[in-house]
Amino acid sequence: MFVLLSHLQRLRRAIAAPGPGRRGSLALRHVDAGSCNGCEHELTAVMSPFYDLQQYGLSIVASPRHADVLLVTGAITTRMAPALRAAHEAMPEPRLVAALGDCALGCNVLGLREQLAGPLEGIVAVDLRIPGCPPSPAVIADALTAALLARGEDRTVSGEPPAPAGGRR
Amino acid sequence: MTARPDGASGPRSAAAITRVAPAGWRPACLRAHADGARFAGLFGAPRGGRAVELRAVFSTPAGERVIACETPERAVESVVDVLPAAAWDEREAHDLHGVRFVGHEPLRPLLDHDAALERWTVPVAGRDAHQVAVGPVHAGVIESGHFRFHVVGELILSLDLRLFYKRRGLEAAATGRPAEDAIAYAQRACAACAVTSSVACAQACEAALGLAPDDELRRARTVLLELERVYNHLHDISAICAGVGFAPGAAAYAALKERVQRLNLRLAGHRFLFGSVRLGGSDLAPAAADVADARAQLRTTGDEHAALWRQLHFSRSLQERLDAVGVLGRDDAERLGAVGPAARAAGLRRDVRSESTRLCYGGFAPVTPAVPAGDVASRMTQRAIELEQSLAVLDELLADPPAPGRTRAIGPTAAVAVGRVESPRGATTCLVELDGRRLRALHLRTGSYANWPSLVHAVPGSLLADFPLINKSFELCYACVDR
Ligand code: SF4
Repeated sequence: MFVLLSHLQRLRRAIAAPGPGRRGSLALRHVDAGSCNGCEHELTAVMSPFYDLQQYGLSIVASPRHADVLLVTGAITTRMAPALRAAHEAMPEPRLVAALGDCALGCNVLGLREQLAGPLEGIVAVDLRIPGCPPSPAVIADALTAALLARGEDRTVSGEPPAPAGGRR
Repeated sequence: MTARPDGASGPRSAAAITRVAPAGWRPACLRAHADGARFAGLFGAPRGGRAVELRAVFSTPAGERVIACETPERAVESVVDVLPAAAWDEREAHDLHGVRFVGHEPLRPLLDHDAALERWTVPVAGRDAHQVAVGPVHAGVIESGHFRFHVVGELILSLDLRLFYKRRGLEAAATGRPAEDAIAYAQRACAACAVTSSVACAQACEAALGLAPDDELRRARTVLLELERVYNHLHDISAICAGVGFAPGAAAYAALKERVQRLNLRLAGHRFLFGSVRLGGSDLAPAAADVADARAQLRTTGDEHAALWRQLHFSRSLQERLDAVGVLGRDDAERLGAVGPAARAAGLRRDVRSESTRLCYGGFAPVTPAVPAGDVASRMTQRAIELEQSLAVLDELLADPPAPGRTRAIGPTAAVAVGRVESPRGATTCLVELDGRRLRALHLRTGSYANWPSLVHAVPGSLLADFPLINKSFELCYACVDR
């Protein structure tokens, strides 16, 4: 265990992991609405030691009730559209919706018309577009930290306190 | 082992096809099974009117055999009593094409999501028995699918799956397209098996067109396949650690995986190697310096893996969670048609790589753990030893930089052909039917498809809290099953 932990410490030094970010947080909820699983792999990588988004206050939460951002991947199959809508409706306001990857954005989708309900835009309003097939962890990290900063600035401009999101401080 | 182009036996030509009448379907399948051929998939394709074309693929060390049958009445005798491995295939052909498999009772819906709950779940009754429904949306970053656990308290009595939420209709959408496009559809099925499915599809199309790969093409594809296996196995070990909340192990292996994916990007232009396989040739030609670097990096990966693995091995809190959990015994693995690391961890020493004449695996011999117990611990160990094996194959293949490869015409063309490739999760079968140079049918049966029934079998008797761990130890894809 000790060896493992010191290995991690060395690793963090070697890859110059990002330092602590500014204050604030966004709780993220992911819904796979018909992906090839590539976007999921990259989203998971964003939470790995190389990108370590948790320290910016970005974390994946277990329920849409706890989430500020809905991250949607995949071509939006007709079979997943109802569950996607339910997850979206379960989220407290204010909420953001992110289309993660080309499929969710409706680019280069393969499949039968009758099996597909996408793109995401036609189902719920999209606030954040993260293109790529799949978008690389660096691109995802940039897009999410930018959203976090933008949200912080909105708050300053309007002078309002951050709206409470379910389950958070 | 030596990884050299297999000169002893040249690439096999297209599969041997036996055409039978509907009444001959079951006898022909049972005969193939009795002869020792291994079931590798059963597919239905619509024909004119009501008719459906059924094809069963059996694999033998000498090549694939296909049993084909057009059934105007959409009914044949089932083979599941003798070949339980065909259960999902029959259920799928029923749901998609309305084929009745007489004797398959009850024929539960597999893709049909409109079916009532009682029709697709196995009835469980008794004191305090109740159901726990999970999904299709899960708590983590996981693919979508629905699980229905029958439990008493924490104890799982049985599990029913409802997958196919991610069905995009890729195979049907590919029908009618030029053969060159087939690979894009096969690749799209699943990122984690992208190379495997692409190569299986390329092999099938090339066999149908009477083409054989040259040595460079075999070598390039083998490099890509092994790179895919390495990042997947690193991912899987990380996921098993995460499955028990063992964060140091999960983070360390996630970092190794990230490094290999960066290597993929450098060598082949994509972190998941998308677009690296095409019909009839290979353009993989990385610079010599990049290849030398990659080789050095892969050696470092092997060293780090060896050191980390030793640490995992001596972490009691981790090991205590893995032993004797989610057991898939050898006989059950055989009966249910398990493939890949899950089958080898149960003691079935087989791997498509040892018979892949269209790839560069000369002298390859499958490995198993010293004690193949078929539990989570064995499946994790299996990944670890296969990693070493794959890194050794890559080290040898990357001694010289891959150069562009091509195919040459070797023999007659055929309407139907099969490609078989070992994915990180096991044997993947791709069957294509061509009409000239156009696809008349494309079928993909990945290692994950073959293994879901084995997962279902390994779960009962475990605690609910162990399910995520058991699930991770199989680490099956949903995307390429749903297609
Ligand atoms: S955008 Fe690309 S990686 Fe993401 S789900 Fe679609 S095909 Fe897969």
